[in-house]
Amino acid sequence: MISLNSVTKIFGTFTAVDNISYTIEAGDHFALLGPNGAGKTTLVRMLLDFIKPTAGRITISGVPVSDPESRKQIGYLAEQHVIPPYLSGLGYLMRHASLIGLSGKNAAVEVDRVLEMVAMKGDEKKKSVAYSKGMKQRIGLAAAILGHPKLLILDEPIAGLDPIGIRQVRKILENLYDKGITVILNSHLLSEVEKTCKTAAIMYKGKILIRDSIRSIVKDGETLEDVFIKYIENENE
Amino acid sequence: MNNFLKIAAFTIVDQMRHKSFYVLLVVSILFVLMIRGCYQGEYIVNGKQINNITIAWQVSRIVFQMIAVGMFFMVSMLAMKIFSRDQADGSLILFLSRPVFRWQYVFGRIAGTWALCLVFMFLLHLTIFLTVWTKTGAPIPGYLAASLVISINLLFVIVCVCFLSLFMPDFISAVFTMGILLVGFISDGGQQILNNEIVKSAVAPDVNTGPALWRILYPKVFMVQAYADSIISQSRLNPMGPFHPMLNLSVFILLIMTLLLISFNKKEI
Repeated sequence: MISLNSVTKIFGTFTAVDNISYTIEAGDHFALLGPNGAGKTTLVRMLLDFIKPTAGRITISGVPVSDPESRKQIGYLAEQHVIPPYLSGLGYLMRHASLIGLSGKNAAVEVDRVLEMVAMKGDEKKKSVAYSKGMKQRIGLAAAILGHPKLLILDEPIAGLDPIGIRQVRKILENLYDKGITVILNSHLLSEVEKTCKTAAIMYKGKILIRDSIRSIVKDGETLEDVFIKYIENENE
Repeated sequence: MNNFLKIAAFTIVDQMRHKSFYVLLVVSILFVLMIRGCYQGEYIVNGKQINNITIAWQVSRIVFQMIAVGMFFMVSMLAMKIFSRDQADGSLILFLSRPVFRWQYVFGRIAGTWALCLVFMFLLHLTIFLTVWTKTGAPIPGYLAASLVISINLLFVIVCVCFLSLFMPDFISAVFTMGILLVGFISDGGQQILNNEIVKSAVAPDVNTGPALWRILYPKVFMVQAYADSIISQSRLNPMGPFHPMLNLSVFILLIMTLLLISFNKKEI
């Protein structure tokens, strides 16, 4: 589904992503872990062609990410999700629907479906300035799952949410996993990752330190957090 | 519908949501209507009474240019924030996380802003046209066509401001563009004055000094205004250099659009 081949991204003298190669298979629920500045968000942004790699090649279903066709099957939730303040949740989702080719009744039905999924029915006509952070996040998630994407890229989807919000998002994700969607989750909350993902990669200073199934990474008596800290400390020594 | 057209339509809706847009439109129309008093009085020049139609036409020509200059300011204010506002309010991510080419986004935003301003200006010119028609019983031929002609100037201002806003603060990009227009107005306006028959007869011609090459090639915003005026007054245009001002400006617009697209394609979001 996703193939990264010797991908490097350099900002000035800082190497954010350092010669990374890996593939993510269709249907995988993949977590990208790492401390701040590890290069996770840079990698995610390269998948969407928001930034170009300095070297290397990235394809999604065989299509280079520089081709907008590659984004036809992608749903994306940004790390700091922002909705234009003059739009309502409904207006925002209708724009997304329009851009993926849905119109009229089809768009209305699909928007209704995703609003139901993220429990935002009844609040969709309010302007986004009236939304709490959690509500904005749920509208962002609704936009990401609009149109049944095959690949979902979620950059810190539960950051700043309260426990109820986190549980709601987890339920939505579990529901999506059952439908065979490929998910890339970029998160700091390791306990959540452990609950919701199949495979994980730990990034540090632009490199992938380990990449395997969570069952293989986390041994008996350990948590993902223990493993994560162990790898980072080893690198720092 | 193509994503380019969708983004252009979104842009029109987004710009029209500002209450200030309607306030500006109403104030502008009121200003234009206030001028209608000029069409009624009795004017005597050198002891001869000038008829109403002549006065109305002359006033309308002046107001035509005043509206255009006012539009330059309005357009540059609207255009300067297109990219920075989209980046800040999440619109850029909204568009580019979907199967949208960057050129569709850039040109969609520009086309939407241009279409809106074109209609705004056309409404003002239409108000003048209808006022003169009802007051004098004679429509001004070419007035509305001239309005459409000068809309190319608005497009030039939009692409210029948008391009510069990628490299400099928003307001500075608008001021810089106004500076470009001002230099052109001084250069081309001066040339038009020198070409005037009265000035020619009063000033001894200097055979060695034609306009410098940069003045011939400079964006001919003023000359497009002069061309529009020549359509209204049905007079001959004295273009500077071998190229028609519309061609000159079209080339500049294409060039700046190309540079804008190249720069925007490299932009990291």
